[in-house]
Amino acid sequence: MKKYTLKRVLTFIFTLLAILLILFILMQLMPGSPFNDEKLNDDMRAALYAKYGLDKPIIIQFFHYVKNMLQGDFGVSYKISKNTPISQLIQTRLPISIGIGGMAVALGAIVGLLLGLLAALKHNTIWDTLATIISVIGVSVPSYVFALALSYNFGFKLQWFPMLFSQKDVMGSSVLPSISLSMFTMASIARFTRSEMLEVLGSDYMLLAESKGLSGSALIFRHALRNALIPIVTVLAPLIVDLMTGSLVVEKIFAIPGVGSLLVNAIQSNDYNVVISLSFIYSAMYIAIMLVVDLLYGVIDPRIRLAKKGD
Amino acid sequence: MNKLKSAVVMTMAAASVLGASAMASDLNVMVETPVESLDPQIATDGTSFEVIADYTDGLMQMDADGKAVEALAESYDLSDDGTVYTFHIREDANWSNGEPVTAADFVFAWQRAVDPNVASEYSYMMSDIGQIKNAAEIIAGDMDKSELGVTAVDDKTLKVELNVPVSYFTSLMYFPTFYPVNEAFFNECGDTFATSPDTILSNGAFVMDDYEPAATAFHLTKNADYYNADSISLEGINYQVIQDSQTALMSYQTGALDMTIVNGEQVDQVEDDPEFSSQGAGYLWYVSPNISAVEELQNLNIRMALTMAIDREAITNDVLKDGSIPTYTAVPMQFAAGPDGSDFSEDQEMFSDVCATDPEKAADFWAKGLEELGTDSIELDMIVDADDAPQKVATVLKEQWETTLPGLIVNLVVEPKKQRVEDMQDGNFEVALTRWGPDYADPMTYLGMWVTDNSNNYGLWSNADYDAMIDECTTGDLCTDAEGRWAKMYEAEKIVMDDAVIFPLYTAANAQMISSNVTGLEQHPVALNRVYKNVVKED
Repeated sequence: MKKYTLKRVLTFIFTLLAILLILFILMQLMPGSPFNDEKLNDDMRAALYAKYGLDKPIIIQFFHYVKNMLQGDFGVSYKISKNTPISQLIQTRLPISIGIGGMAVALGAIVGLLLGLLAALKHNTIWDTLATIISVIGVSVPSYVFALALSYNFGFKLQWFPMLFSQKDVMGSSVLPSISLSMFTMASIARFTRSEMLEVLGSDYMLLAESKGLSGSALIFRHALRNALIPIVTVLAPLIVDLMTGSLVVEKIFAIPGVGSLLVNAIQSNDYNVVISLSFIYSAMYIAIMLVVDLLYGVIDPRIRLAKKGD
Repeated sequence: MNKLKSAVVMTMAAASVLGASAMASDLNVMVETPVESLDPQIATDGTSFEVIADYTDGLMQMDADGKAVEALAESYDLSDDGTVYTFHIREDANWSNGEPVTAADFVFAWQRAVDPNVASEYSYMMSDIGQIKNAAEIIAGDMDKSELGVTAVDDKTLKVELNVPVSYFTSLMYFPTFYPVNEAFFNECGDTFATSPDTILSNGAFVMDDYEPAATAFHLTKNADYYNADSISLEGINYQVIQDSQTALMSYQTGALDMTIVNGEQVDQVEDDPEFSSQGAGYLWYVSPNISAVEELQNLNIRMALTMAIDREAITNDVLKDGSIPTYTAVPMQFAAGPDGSDFSEDQEMFSDVCATDPEKAADFWAKGLEELGTDSIELDMIVDADDAPQKVATVLKEQWETTLPGLIVNLVVEPKKQRVEDMQDGNFEVALTRWGPDYADPMTYLGMWVTDNSNNYGLWSNADYDAMIDECTTGDLCTDAEGRWAKMYEAEKIVMDDAVIFPLYTAANAQMISSNVTGLEQHPVALNRVYKNVVKED
């Protein structure tokens, strides 16, 4: 297990470095530069390149950046918040995105799980049909449509919740965006739970457990759900990263100062350091979650745990 | 520093105690984009300028009509030859840490603006536009910044030396690049200058009490120590950045905002509302033909045909609907007033023989042009920004051109703005839809673009007579003769129009909603888009 973990962590670091290099090359391929503004002439652009070291060869810029990054310095923004250290920009925005994304994941996972269980246990009844309809809508309708509908009905018409995100009322103003973001997760989880549960419920070992005289709830939660959870966790993992790194459109609609809008604004204005740092953090979170998922399999599924011990 | 900290803490405590009761008189303002920088010598965008001016005064400020009137300067003297300004700074002007505003604060700030290490994007306001002595040499790295032609004669007297008389110089003094910075405070803050309430020093009507970089919401409170505090009615300003136009309008309708911008598509819903209005933005949208690189466009008849075939009213009335005005002059309306106070481009028919909506004339020019070129069809690529409004305008342009001019095929090439600008800078385009916003309240902010070798003269058009006229107006004899200069600029503009160097389309406007209980808002197309000093909000 130790060797396995070490190997995974090394791959993790190597992958991140490779991603960083690719990001650097992609930045160079982007049209324009942070400073190709109509108001700037050639001399002024040259002065700005020199100031930020962008006049140096790309490979030198890369090593310089890696060196600084290892010391916790992600550079400064060139455009969207001029000369502000990226760490300062991100440290206030990432928690907001993680907060709203986390709420959306929790809500989506719990409701989706319940919905999927309901559909599987009441297979081929009106409940099953209803749950299926809800999940089809959730998967096929984009989150910004939910966001607009919620904002219009509960923010504008009924005024139950604020339409705009506010630092003074984080909980209240996070409700509508969290619900909008949770719909896709909820629907995906509900569908997976339903199909996995149906498969597990029809398997031989469930028949055995049932014939041993186990009661209903123990049967479902200890035997059926636990086995059904493995594929669900696999689906949930990327969804978590996706939600926590912010959603551009939902952030735009609710005026949330998250990282999603920061990233898109940065791409549009060629703000290299912001794009690189955020993409890098996104990648790191994604790979880290995948690592956690791999380790979680062992907890959920004894077969995996035992197989590894046997190695 | 401790003193400062405790002062800040006390202000914040006071603000939070007052918070609940003061909320009613806070003005709730929507902006479309976050602040890019609150460092006056680094900032370049409209939002940043507006916010910096909320809490900083320059030597001069804009009155309701956009004219320069005294602010931190109590008075100023101009030497007989028009090249030396002496500003006398108010005795009662103080920074929010209690320090007096001195001439040295201006010297420090202006030296930063030309310092190559700072690389201020608006450094040309000091050199090319402001003509401050030695500014150009310092920016180029040939001279030390201490040589800049600005000196603190004493604490409250600032002397500015210019290369040549600049008729609009006082109007530059309200441009944030020229705002003062307190050196001791700046050094104390280091890299964090102007990134939080603790690192922002105010000398103006408001103080920043809630801000972080790229914030989507921030707040300013009335500055009780402002020299003119008695005249400020607002208790504070609450800024909210909203990028989604529908959310903005709904927030306005629920009363969460006192003013908001509406886009062209929303105008139909709100145009009958008495709170709806349209505000000129002074931006000129125009088509730039690449005259030097495209053989067909070197033919004047072809260019004439293209500009005559455009139905500008259809574009503003049916496509944009935001109050933008059809424009038939190379200098747009509503931003530059002459010696007699009238708008430079008020008369939109002065070039009607070369720029008008006239499909028949256009077809004649076109036929003549095709004959001269010995062809019966022309294909042109037009590059366009990938934003909503430009794409719509370009689609209509294409249709108008292809309908009126037989044998013309226009291909729209939609690109991200960065790519479009790069293509224009590289001369890699045939026709482009582009725009220009005025930097200062003088027609030269436009006319200066078509001088030979100007970096914004993308079509590489060149005319020696024109260059000479512009020289005369900027650094030559006409500097001291306001009326003569004005007349000469019309002459220069006529050359641009007669030669169809650009095809002007419209002067942009912002459609907006302003609550009826808000009065006294001053809006300007140049430098400071909105000024809140005289705003009164009734509960």
